[in-house]
Amino acid sequence: MSFQPVLHAEWIKIRTLRSLVGSLCAVLLATAAFSALASADADDSDPLFSAFFGVNFGQIAAIAFGATAVSSEFQGGALRLTFAAVPDRGRWFAAKATAIALPALAVGLVTGGVTAVVGGATLGSAGPTGTEALRAAVGCGVYLALMALFAAGLAAVLRSGVATLSILIPFLLIVSFVVGDMSGNVADFLPDRAGQVALHSDWDGTLGPWTGLAVTAVWTAAALVAGAWSLRRRDA
Amino acid sequence: MTSIDVRDLTKVYGSRRAVDHLTFTVEPGRVTGFLGPNGAGKSTTMRLALGLDRPTSGTATIGGRPYTELREPLHHVGALLEAQAAHGSRTGRDHLRALAVSNRIPLSRVDTVLEETGLASVARRRVKTYSLGMRQRLGMAAALLGDPGVVLLDEPANGLDPEGIVWIRQLLRRLAGEGRTVLVSSHLMNETAAFADHLVVLGRGRLLADTPVQDFIHARVQPGVRVRTTDGTGLGALLSRHGYEAAQDGNGAWTVRHARVDDIGRLMSEADVPVLELTAQEATLEQAYLDLTSAEAEFTAQPQEA
Repeated sequence: MSFQPVLHAEWIKIRTLRSLVGSLCAVLLATAAFSALASADADDSDPLFSAFFGVNFGQIAAIAFGATAVSSEFQGGALRLTFAAVPDRGRWFAAKATAIALPALAVGLVTGGVTAVVGGATLGSAGPTGTEALRAAVGCGVYLALMALFAAGLAAVLRSGVATLSILIPFLLIVSFVVGDMSGNVADFLPDRAGQVALHSDWDGTLGPWTGLAVTAVWTAAALVAGAWSLRRRDA
Repeated sequence: MTSIDVRDLTKVYGSRRAVDHLTFTVEPGRVTGFLGPNGAGKSTTMRLALGLDRPTSGTATIGGRPYTELREPLHHVGALLEAQAAHGSRTGRDHLRALAVSNRIPLSRVDTVLEETGLASVARRRVKTYSLGMRQRLGMAAALLGDPGVVLLDEPANGLDPEGIVWIRQLLRRLAGEGRTVLVSSHLMNETAAFADHLVVLGRGRLLADTPVQDFIHARVQPGVRVRTTDGTGLGALLSRHGYEAAQDGNGAWTVRHARVDDIGRLMSEADVPVLELTAQEATLEQAYLDLTSAEAEFTAQPQEA
């Protein structure tokens, strides 16, 4: 059984659920809107992150997208029908992850580009430099795609979108801020903080923009492997 | 070869044996009814045959191979497990389209099965607007999508209106007539009698019977005659004179066992015993089934699980 038909099927499933298309739109809207608000009232310390502040909100939509794309399979025995059509569960999950990653990356890159342009326009001469903005725009796309996949892996382990989001949203909005402000280097390796280094003008931790994204990628890979393992091992 | 072969299949959930050393074969060209009360292990057996659950021991193969080894399995096997499997926010057509694409089934089949199941007019509506009966039809459409030689259907008549039940009966007969292997689970005995040629009966995960429907009924239930009369004493005397065993129920009706209406009618006429009612008692699958399962007394007190 080849990969391409399975990927095509998973892409149809994503494209035909309005809630998934809606959450992808929300990634762009939330990021751009909150970034514009933040850069309108920015101090000069970190112009790049002022421009990209909205990612804090856009990433909620990205994880909702990843979690829902997987958790919709756990409703009403949908997964049984899916596995009856594609018994190779590893291949199926790889197709599902690809079908989540590609649109999330595309929307993330567009979001990054729009945000950089909007931020630059709002901040004017105090704004980020061109190379900074380009780095952050690409980083934003990669980061949002990785967070969507992280949520997808977690949803496969927990078999529930609600459980996944009720862990991840408080974590992103509260825990990461609090722990991050309290402790030193360990918190820098949390998936969101590591990946968001790419959105700052400068950084003082051990991780740079690309090494930070690599750390997020490791978290994502771990979540996906755990999800694949759980799917293969358990009864559907 | 498109038979379903279950060999010494066992599935244990915690301390409960859902399927217990089950062995049977489902042959092509006939409808096999898969009977048993709720919790008897029918759905579990189907999930094991489809490679969705892992057996504790034993094997289930389709056409000699484990399901998980089939390439693009929808071309070989169609299954209806749950009516709720389609996402409510997707249209029926999109649901089938994704399934078809995953197994490289031509998209023309989607419209064919939508027509066949009577869903063509609602195909572009979202599944959440469907009635339970329409969802069952969508499940049937998914099962037929790849034009498979083997069909496994778990309670397909669930939620169907009378018209739908007649439809599914004819559909099952047609599929078997085309030489396909058809396994249909149900807990409704009379419904199953209307379409099945062969029966596999489960009770608490164990095989209770694997036999043609007619044999199953005849082996279990003797025909009888039901009589009502105004002259009970006369009838009693008449029957015992001719060596019939008869029992009287509370409403004044008699049940004569091992008898035919032709004989009893003639006797009563000759003896001038007035006849109010004289009916042949057809042996039904339901009686045969209850007779079979009453032997398994442990059933009745057990809590039933879905």
